[in-house]
Amino acid sequence: MRVALFVPCYIDQFYPQVAVASLELLEKLGCEVVVPADQTCCGQPMANSGFASSTEGCDTNFTTNFAGFDYIVGPSGSCVLHLKEHHPSEKIRNSVYEICEFLTDVLKVTSLSAKFSHRVGLHQSCHGQRGLRLSSMTERNEKSFSKLEDLLGLVEGVEILKPERADECCGFGGTFCVTEEAVSVKMGQDRIKEHDANAVEYIVGADTSCLMHMEGILRRQGSSIQVKHIVEILNHA
Amino acid sequence: MPSHAEASEKFIADAQRTDWHDETLWFVREKRDKAAMVLREWEALREHASQIKDHTLANLGSYLQAFEAKAQANGIHVHWAADAAEHNAIVHQIIAKQGSKVLVKSKSMLTEECHLNDYLANKGIEVVDTDLGERIVQFRNEAPSHIVLPAIHLKREDVGETFHQHLGTPKGNKDPQFLTEAARQHLRGHFLASEVAITGVNFAIAETGEFVVCTNEGNADMGAHLAKVHIACMGIEKIIPKREDLAVFLRLLARSATGQLITTYSSHFHKPREGQEMHIVLLDNGRTRQLADPKYKNSLKCIRCAACFNTCPVYRRSGGHSYHQPVAGPIGSILAPNIDKKANADLPFASTLCGSCSNVCPVKINIHEQLWFWRQDLMAAGLAPVGKTIGMKLMAFTLAHPAIYRIGGSLLRRFSGMLNTRLNPWYKQREMPEAPKVSFQEWYKKR
Amino acid sequence: MSAREQILGKMEALEPVNHPGNFKGASVDFDFQASLEVVGARVLTAEALEIEFPRRRRYDKTLDGLSLAEVEVLEIDGEFGVAENGAIWLTEEAMPHRVAPFICQHLVINVSKIVPNMHAAYEELKKPSSSFGLFLAGPSKTADIEQSLVIGAHGARSLTVVIRA
Repeated sequence: MRVALFVPCYIDQFYPQVAVASLELLEKLGCEVVVPADQTCCGQPMANSGFASSTEGCDTNFTTNFAGFDYIVGPSGSCVLHLKEHHPSEKIRNSVYEICEFLTDVLKVTSLSAKFSHRVGLHQSCHGQRGLRLSSMTERNEKSFSKLEDLLGLVEGVEILKPERADECCGFGGTFCVTEEAVSVKMGQDRIKEHDANAVEYIVGADTSCLMHMEGILRRQGSSIQVKHIVEILNHA
Repeated sequence: MPSHAEASEKFIADAQRTDWHDETLWFVREKRDKAAMVLREWEALREHASQIKDHTLANLGSYLQAFEAKAQANGIHVHWAADAAEHNAIVHQIIAKQGSKVLVKSKSMLTEECHLNDYLANKGIEVVDTDLGERIVQFRNEAPSHIVLPAIHLKREDVGETFHQHLGTPKGNKDPQFLTEAARQHLRGHFLASEVAITGVNFAIAETGEFVVCTNEGNADMGAHLAKVHIACMGIEKIIPKREDLAVFLRLLARSATGQLITTYSSHFHKPREGQEMHIVLLDNGRTRQLADPKYKNSLKCIRCAACFNTCPVYRRSGGHSYHQPVAGPIGSILAPNIDKKANADLPFASTLCGSCSNVCPVKINIHEQLWFWRQDLMAAGLAPVGKTIGMKLMAFTLAHPAIYRIGGSLLRRFSGMLNTRLNPWYKQREMPEAPKVSFQEWYKKR
Repeated sequence: MSAREQILGKMEALEPVNHPGNFKGASVDFDFQASLEVVGARVLTAEALEIEFPRRRRYDKTLDGLSLAEVEVLEIDGEFGVAENGAIWLTEEAMPHRVAPFICQHLVINVSKIVPNMHAAYEELKKPSSSFGLFLAGPSKTADIEQSLVIGAHGARSLTVVIRA
């Protein structure tokens, strides 16, 4: 299967290991992975700040890079949701997948040769969970499910621990993290407190942006807890 | 007026109180979950309520006229007000005819929206708010911080001190039972003496011309049934078509609001009491403008349960007053810009767009999507803070041009240490991510 | 132009949407007594009521709103109870005055008919309605001070329900 890997801008620049793990994992699972060289960004930073009207150049660039693919896969729930909801091209909207949903729904992965013997705190990113329906939501009266937990369940040694408020937002929120700095940090600190209470070694999620925000707080606190994108674990030998 | 961000920073400075506020409201959210999850038809009920509201809004004009005709036939006086000023003038006229100088009022967010109390005070008429929480904040000269729990920003010692000052309760007594009893005795005097009572309206039924008022304390009824004149104030969106529709809404309202099975009192006012004068004021105040905009029309479905407040991680950590509007929280943030874009341009940004609000909403308002739409409209109206427009355009330009993006990215990584300054809001309480030597794209080229 | 004309004038161009009809598929497996307990009401047998409240005022036309304030225990008849939430439908005709169930200190309500849920309740209420009616669920309450529940805010301090066959 031919897959275009969509590497969001901030992952490209600051978290290349997440893109590397995505690439390796998809290849391990038999995909022919193409990385369009001139890709940049999904346009979400502008759109969520009220400047959707300024994303035309960004959207066009995305189309130029990705229009030729039936499967566009990215390791970021938030960016993928933005594309699905707001990209002007219907072809793009229908072809883009968050990597976990691509693994469970398209590749239908049932086994992985990964091992990660650690206590892992699961962070549900809002756009992945509520937007892309990667898992059931505590607000709804619905059957419980979780694509992230299904995948982590295939990794040898992982111990999944959930925070008390299983799907509360971490407070990143795009530019919210700087325009509403006080609330953003307080939200992040409160999430971390619950993971801390579970004595986790890693906080794991499907959105690097949430993880970047929580990592920033963890490092300022001098905490030993580390953050990892779920693909880094699914790809961990 | 401080912006939401400024007011929140102040609120959060008291970490202990912020935690308490967060936990208290989270507790209400948990009670809501429990009450919702025991009904296997919960999601179907939400969908049904949403559809009834869709239908009603599409036919609002004819339902309003049907309601008016029925209500008048029932002996109720019906008034129409295009805006807050007209609303207040109508209410004042009714009170002036009666010659009252003091009156009782139960909870009505609409009268807060119209600033009725201040208006009447200027005319020499005192309004006594009778909901316990509202009475507390009224004593303190504050606005309610939550539409269902108006005094939720206060601790019992704050209330104890307020009652000591205004009701002469012993200094230091902060027992909720004792303080509630003091309020009961104090307000009973007003109930028995008042000739005019104002109430809000939860639902008005076009089919019968009656209106329903829900309270837990019984204060709306105590006021309305003892007064010679009852004035009920409602927004035009409170209409529902049929009496049977109440079954759906009454099931959803209390479970969503407080996790109760139903409010203690759900009173159906059909006709005035013998010898009583009953008035209804129907208010527009921007609602028809919302109705005409497909992006925001849905916000008129709101039944004011405040479930979106309680679930909102931002509201819980910033308090209702940070929204500087009578209706705070996520729903307030999509209602307020409709009334005044400039004054409320900060509110749609007081959210991470996490979407929890839309999930708890009993009438399925797409609150987080409307926040997003408002962001677009407000920026298009030129209401961006200084520098934001230039910054965004620059970012959009960079991300539209791969070569510039690559240079920009590599510069950003090389000099990211320069961002470790207090001028960078990220860095204030967070470390910057460590910049890797090579980007993924650079690594991939050499692979 | 009057406010009425202004408001109605803005509503002419809306697309019609159908009413979804009555709600189908509502749960019916509720226990009235259990719900009464949840809403803070007490259930007594007729015999126990005599022992608990030997002196109580029955519905009486001579009581007006203000003299009702002196009534300690008032007994009235409810039309029916709702199992799902413990609410009891009361109408003006069964009360000495609309304010009666609110202003007395303690309230006793007799109920002889129970319907499963609110949908069934409004089926009952299809017939010509009274000038004033209400669903009453438990005693008056508030949690406005720190979310701590206090019974007896403005209305009756207690509700006792007697389920009579």
